[in-house]
Amino acid sequence: MIRKPLLAACVAGLLAFTAACGSGEGGGNESGETALTYLVFETPSLDAKFWDDSIAAATAQTPGVKINKIVAPSTDRDGYAKQLQQSGQFPDLLQSITPSNFVGAGLLKPYDKTWIDANFLLPSANSLKGEVYIPPTNSQIVPQVYYNKKLFTDAGISAAPKTWAEFLDACAKLKAKGINPIELGGADPFAASMPLVGIISADILGKNKNWLQNRYADKVKFADQDVVAAVSKYRTLVTSGYFDKGALGVKYADSITRFTTGKSAMYPMGSWFLGSVPKDTADNFGSFPWPTDSGDVVVPFVGGGSMAISAKAKDTAKAEKFGQAWSLNTKNLKALIETDGAFPMIKGKTLEDYGVTVTQVFKDSYAYVGQDNNKVNAIGWATNDDALPPGLNDAFYAAAQALFTKDDVAGEMRKLDDAWKTAVQ
Amino acid sequence: MRKKHSGERGLALLAALALVLYLVFLVLPLLLSLRSSFTNENPLKATNEYIGFANYTEMAGDDQLRASLTFTLILAFGVTVAANVLGVAFAILLNRTSLSYRVMRTVAFLPQVLSGVIVAFVWQTILTQNGLLNTALMKIGILDEPYPWLGSPNAALFSIGVVVTWVMTGFTTVVYLAALQSIPLELHDMASLDGVRGTQRFRKITWPLLAPGTTISVTISLITVLKLYDIITVLTGGGPANSTQSTALYIVKLAFTSDRVGYASAVAMLLLALSAVVALTITSALRRREISL
Repeated sequence: MIRKPLLAACVAGLLAFTAACGSGEGGGNESGETALTYLVFETPSLDAKFWDDSIAAATAQTPGVKINKIVAPSTDRDGYAKQLQQSGQFPDLLQSITPSNFVGAGLLKPYDKTWIDANFLLPSANSLKGEVYIPPTNSQIVPQVYYNKKLFTDAGISAAPKTWAEFLDACAKLKAKGINPIELGGADPFAASMPLVGIISADILGKNKNWLQNRYADKVKFADQDVVAAVSKYRTLVTSGYFDKGALGVKYADSITRFTTGKSAMYPMGSWFLGSVPKDTADNFGSFPWPTDSGDVVVPFVGGGSMAISAKAKDTAKAEKFGQAWSLNTKNLKALIETDGAFPMIKGKTLEDYGVTVTQVFKDSYAYVGQDNNKVNAIGWATNDDALPPGLNDAFYAAAQALFTKDDVAGEMRKLDDAWKTAVQ
Repeated sequence: MRKKHSGERGLALLAALALVLYLVFLVLPLLLSLRSSFTNENPLKATNEYIGFANYTEMAGDDQLRASLTFTLILAFGVTVAANVLGVAFAILLNRTSLSYRVMRTVAFLPQVLSGVIVAFVWQTILTQNGLLNTALMKIGILDEPYPWLGSPNAALFSIGVVVTWVMTGFTTVVYLAALQSIPLELHDMASLDGVRGTQRFRKITWPLLAPGTTISVTISLITVLKLYDIITVLTGGGPANSTQSTALYIVKLAFTSDRVGYASAVAMLLLALSAVVALTITSALRRREISL
């Protein structure tokens, strides 16, 4: 029979071991520096070297700070940040997260508004109830329609379509020529949803910028006739055979390759695609906004940005200083512009100031950011007050995939309303 | 005498350590999850309240849950049947002692050794739209255009079934091989003398004596597939349109995408109960079969 002291010793030892493993406190070190944890994510273009270099540059401008980099296991920073929060290891700084997911729990500290107003072209692009948790250093258009000029010419299309009717006409001409009109990386849910993001942003938000706020106030619904009519346009594209029949089996990465190698004529995608346009054939690609019935330009806009600060960071003032230094470093933005198609939003800077080499299609796409046009918060991508409630993106993606095979648009929209109801409870 | 005492103490220490680990890493999380299932716990909200059985009653009207359970059960039973039939067949084929057969046994078990994530990535390159399978089938003229093996609900269910069966067959083969090798050779010799051969010998001698192996193999196959997460996550992510969303994947999405930890815990309890009921029912039925044989 086991003796009590022995058992107690085992338990105590195990607890001590567990405590030692889990100890993340103690922000300082022997040299008096404040150690801050910084959650980043790696992609082929934003690799380990990019993050290490950018951290070193910002640290040099923030004396007394030492950064401990945490790399998210996938590009889902929000999901990983939530797991870290669950285990009591919420990072001090978090790159490119969706603040609305975390602000409700009081986990984030807003940036100094004066600094934000002084440095960025659209200071409120990311604002949540008047506070800015991520400096709006760059922006994206989600989606734009990219097109292959040669395939358009082959099909006898002389200009990029502006109206929905012209768009359908272009699709019909391409299909008649045996060219797949629209590329869709439908195996990846976010990519599958691109046409739907374009349609709802253009047809619904373009006519009523407050639609998402009204949805939060329960004044409008996805199952309303105008939304169902708009989403039915997606079904028209599917049933007309304007997507590849097997598009739901095409991975996002493969969809880029298929489009850039001329397998399809058009590609609705976020402007980050601009980073994947092959340099040697870049002049063969153009872009246009998702077409509307009237031909009016609607730009589904997303304010991107750098890092959020944990409200419980070991030293929030130093964390903010680090965040500011990182955000204004043009070298960081250079990499984001060239490889991720990010549109820079720092005041008083032109593309030349970043020392970037960009394609003509990038310049043409970026022009929509500076123009005085109808910018709306791209549904499902906005990180400000128009962000969708947690979990609704998944439902939105699922609806986009379901509508590829199902005719019941109203039913799918009702499901979204049900998911919304659950999400905001 | 002293040696005996110290030996017992060492064993007791090991047993205590195992018990503590079991309590801390299995029983305690289970109890915490059970408690959480009666709350509206959300890691990103300041307050989490006790809400009684609300999560459990919500499950009755949850279409996504129903769809995920249906998918999980179809996959579990389909894979269990296929993997066990194939396992018996491979075990009989590989029940030889020569070196080449021993090598083939190792190869057969390989899928079971590989990480589910690696298996799924390998199969993804085979099954994706422009993957190896479509390329091969189009080259030899069977297909005119790529078939969406992962891009339509039914094809994706079938494809996942094939991949999981491939993985599980390695395990079932080894179990049935062990069971085959425990059958006394004398029985086969006596059967031969009595003129019992081929399928009759399999039906009368081999199959009944494989019963203990069948119990283990079927039960473990079922439980493994009921809680399947990794392969599905990599292969389809639960898509298209959630049609291949296993219950385990749904639980993770509820907890870490929708932030509904309380509800996710309730669904986890349901999956636990379901797995227990299915496993106990199947095990007791197979055990009864063992005794009757």
